[in-house]
Amino acid sequence: MNLEINRVSNHLRGISDSRVTQPKHAADLGGMQKAGSTDDKKADFANAIKGYVSKVDDLQQTSNMSIKDLLSGKNEDVNSVVSQVAKADMSFKLLVGVRNKLIEAYKQTMNMPL
Amino acid sequence: MEIDNFFGPIDIAISGIKAQGKQLELISSNVANARTVDDGKGVPYRRLEAALKYDDEIGGVEVDKIETDMSDFLRIYDPGNPQADKDGYIAMPNVNLPQEMINLNIATRVYQVNVAVLKRYQRMVDNTLELLR
Repeated sequence: MNLEINRVSNHLRGISDSRVTQPKHAADLGGMQKAGSTDDKKADFANAIKGYVSKVDDLQQTSNMSIKDLLSGKNEDVNSVVSQVAKADMSFKLLVGVRNKLIEAYKQTMNMPL
Repeated sequence: MEIDNFFGPIDIAISGIKAQGKQLELISSNVANARTVDDGKGVPYRRLEAALKYDDEIGGVEVDKIETDMSDFLRIYDPGNPQADKDGYIAMPNVNLPQEMINLNIATRVYQVNVAVLKRYQRMVDNTLELLR
């Protein structure tokens, strides 16, 4: 699962880097903050993606730890393990969904006839 | 209660599952001790019940405290029993087994419903994510 996360994060980093070479797109996608120059916005997009990926990664790590604790007998609360796993699963699905959408958008942009 | 919390329903459902788990534990203790004449202090066992409280932080439920049922003990006429008093009566715990069975059913159902809510919420989120495809 961690490998998977790293792969997704690398993909997303790749996308955000490729956006840097296309200032207009970067500005559009990083449009969460209104103030600042286009440079700031580019950094914001990359940072936003990084932030989300690390949040999802944190959830995965905690769910992994709780599973380990349960199996090693350190913790006997199955309910919190279920809750952690459900959260990690949900957020990961959302991340993968967004990632797929981004890749698709990138491909469409690249296939645009010039 | 926090609004706009993506994981809120999960936490609330899990809190319900935990509370009903505790309820189940107390019911099993009551049933197991339905004939316990000595609770360690020389008096018969008194049945326990969990008092549930609204959890303001996440909007779920939590076990506030575990209360002892102070109603009268059941008095059984059994003159031959060495533990009987001079009138031939013996005090038994105030556990009413049919009532415990009903409580057990309620606790199980509420537990199931909480699990169903958790499952349904996961499916709802999955359905929403389908829109991304």
